[in-house]
Amino acid sequence: MSLPALIAIVLGLSLTVYAIFAGADFGAGILDLSARESPEQRIALAHTIGPLWEANHVWLIFSITITFSAFPTAFAALGVVMLAPLTLAVMAIVVRGVAFGLRAEPGGQARSQTLLSAAFGGASVVAPLLFGASAGALAQVSSSRRVSATPLSVPWTGLFASLVGLLAVALCAQLAASFMTWRLSRTGQSESAERFRRRGLQTGTVVLALGLLALLAGAWKAPALWHRLSTAALPLLVIWLLAMLASLYAFARRRYLLARASTMLVAGAIVWGWLIAQAPHLVGTRLTIHAAAATHAALTAFAIAGGVVLLAVLPAFYLLYVLFGRPTPEIAQ
Amino acid sequence: MISALGSLPFGATSHLTAGRAQMGTSLSFHLFFAVLGVGLPPMMLAAEGMHLRTGDPVWRALARRWSKVFAILFAVGAASGTIISFELGLLWPRFMAFAGGIIGLPFSLEGAAFFIEAIFVGIYLYGWDRLSPRTHWLSGIPIAIASAASAFFIVTANAWMNVPRGFKIVHGHVTHVNVLAAMFNPAWATETAHMVLGAYLATTFGVAAVYAVGMLRGRRDSYHRKAITVALAAAAILAPMQLAVGDLLGRTVAQHQPATLAAIEGVTHTESGAGLNLGGIELPGHATTFLNIKIPNLLSVLAYDKPNAPVRGLDTFPKADRTPLAWATRLAFIGMVGIGTGLIALGLWYWLRRRRNGPGPEDRFTLLALAGAGPAAFLANELGWLVTEFGRQPWVVYGVFRTSSAITTAPGLSATFTGFTLLYIVLSALTVWAVRRVSTGTPQLLATPTLRVA
Repeated sequence: MSLPALIAIVLGLSLTVYAIFAGADFGAGILDLSARESPEQRIALAHTIGPLWEANHVWLIFSITITFSAFPTAFAALGVVMLAPLTLAVMAIVVRGVAFGLRAEPGGQARSQTLLSAAFGGASVVAPLLFGASAGALAQVSSSRRVSATPLSVPWTGLFASLVGLLAVALCAQLAASFMTWRLSRTGQSESAERFRRRGLQTGTVVLALGLLALLAGAWKAPALWHRLSTAALPLLVIWLLAMLASLYAFARRRYLLARASTMLVAGAIVWGWLIAQAPHLVGTRLTIHAAAATHAALTAFAIAGGVVLLAVLPAFYLLYVLFGRPTPEIAQ
Repeated sequence: MISALGSLPFGATSHLTAGRAQMGTSLSFHLFFAVLGVGLPPMMLAAEGMHLRTGDPVWRALARRWSKVFAILFAVGAASGTIISFELGLLWPRFMAFAGGIIGLPFSLEGAAFFIEAIFVGIYLYGWDRLSPRTHWLSGIPIAIASAASAFFIVTANAWMNVPRGFKIVHGHVTHVNVLAAMFNPAWATETAHMVLGAYLATTFGVAAVYAVGMLRGRRDSYHRKAITVALAAAAILAPMQLAVGDLLGRTVAQHQPATLAAIEGVTHTESGAGLNLGGIELPGHATTFLNIKIPNLLSVLAYDKPNAPVRGLDTFPKADRTPLAWATRLAFIGMVGIGTGLIALGLWYWLRRRRNGPGPEDRFTLLALAGAGPAAFLANELGWLVTEFGRQPWVVYGVFRTSSAITTAPGLSATFTGFTLLYIVLSALTVWAVRRVSTGTPQLLATPTLRVA
């Protein structure tokens, strides 16, 4: 395998981890929005993501760094064609992060706390919506086999992109619901777990419906993408559908570990379905993984540095999740 | 939608100016939080370590209070740093297409350091009641190391923009990339040391200022005294080091960025045996400078170690290669050096007047000076960064790549600049509100170790 392809796979893995774990953090914000009447749900959500979300967020920075170090011209092209959606997305990320960080009492009814909760929840919807729409639109313009002569423009407000954006929002909520039910059921809070189980069933159904709708819209509006999805990315499509059904079954049967694993698999299948559908193109049909790659010497250095990074970071991540995956003293009481 | 906004009410601002203004606003906002992100962890560790050693609950109260403030600042700093990583591509795509493959290594390593920092911030902030006191203290050490490492890596990239190395340009294409030579360019050591020391120094004086204000308001207890003592002990060591490093950095600039040196030092015409200008602000359109005192031959000695070495004047550079902001560069430099000198003097004053094992001076004058020194030290960091950025213009990569060639071709920057400026105003207000809420008064938690962070 060539070095640019290897780095592209690492980029894909980094995006997958971001989608799953930061996706669950966004989802916690979305569920927080729907838990206005239930302070204890808000507190449970805040306790779960509190120690973890900053670290999960770094996967985004890591992905950006890989992109501009290894594929500088693709990063530049992305910046030009996606100025509007990415500017709005980063603003949403900032608002939700700061609102969450400053909200001292998740269940508080004081005016300041409810305002911060609204900002946290609202921005948690906007960020995945824009990321999803951007990814959908990018796939739409990057999946053709023919090199287009017209300047690239990305239809991130089109029908297909909008459906993918909504799909991303629902998926984030389902991820959060699956994390919460599993965690709460292990600490003997079956009543709270039950509430999040219902959310998991609701959002899971929405994810299934939106996924099928997005496929229909793709077949209608984006024939090149549909062609790739029904050939190269077909295995991922099948995995998505099976994992989707498994997650709904697991939520219905209160098999929470299975629900968590299958929802994660749903997210992974969507990310990789997208990546394979547009591979080897990064942005548009001109910039392939090889055409956009930095010089070989630079790529070698990044590959070595990336390996060292993961060796240092992954054990620390394990430590973090082990430490806070256990029931917290406050919640257990 | 964005482009339509751009042409309506903000059309007067030029595309490049809007992009530069947005980047400048973002960086100056982030720098404040980055400085505290580097500086506060060692202070928390020092206070918590003193608690472990002495068992004195005041130290633990200080460490916990600082960690709550740190939690807020870290959240805002991580958010504003994310904006910058996006802006590199959204505002300066052509610069990133050129530089990404050369200078990506320190950015990747910074990503790693940020990972470690974020993970241990989670452990430290949420681990007060989950870890043994000693383990908890140990979990803070990676934060202090990783935050300083982050600053180090990012500043090596900035040093490369000032003294670019590790690549060749053949027929308009970047070739012969050596990422290590790029990262360890001739300016890396002095620039990174200057930044990290600047961050520690600003934090120590910032902490001293907060507690000096508390004492001025009548809270003269051991909690406040201890905080000021810790801060000024660190400052007494750091300030002279910063003076020496600043001098070395000046030599780096003299050797590799002659046009920048001329702008910084206010040298308009070439002089052999150049004098050092103290003050001396050049006004656009005026031939003479204002309020100048010249010390003969000192600049030649400082820059080149020879009293009669020639120093090139700004007028020897083609007009297109001189910074259009020479006056602002000079002003920022005078401000930075002036504040630095004042901070050293204040540190000396405090320790000379402090009695052996007794309390430091607590008269109104000293406390007022300390209260002012905090904001001044942060201002000095911002000014130092302005010196680097203004002084390097019109280049984004000195002598290689012009800022005007780096800006995006996408329209709508006036609108995004306006949007981000409003966002920063809201974030600043929110941060002040939140920090005040967790940090007013002497804590009552000296007896109740149940307060939780965020």
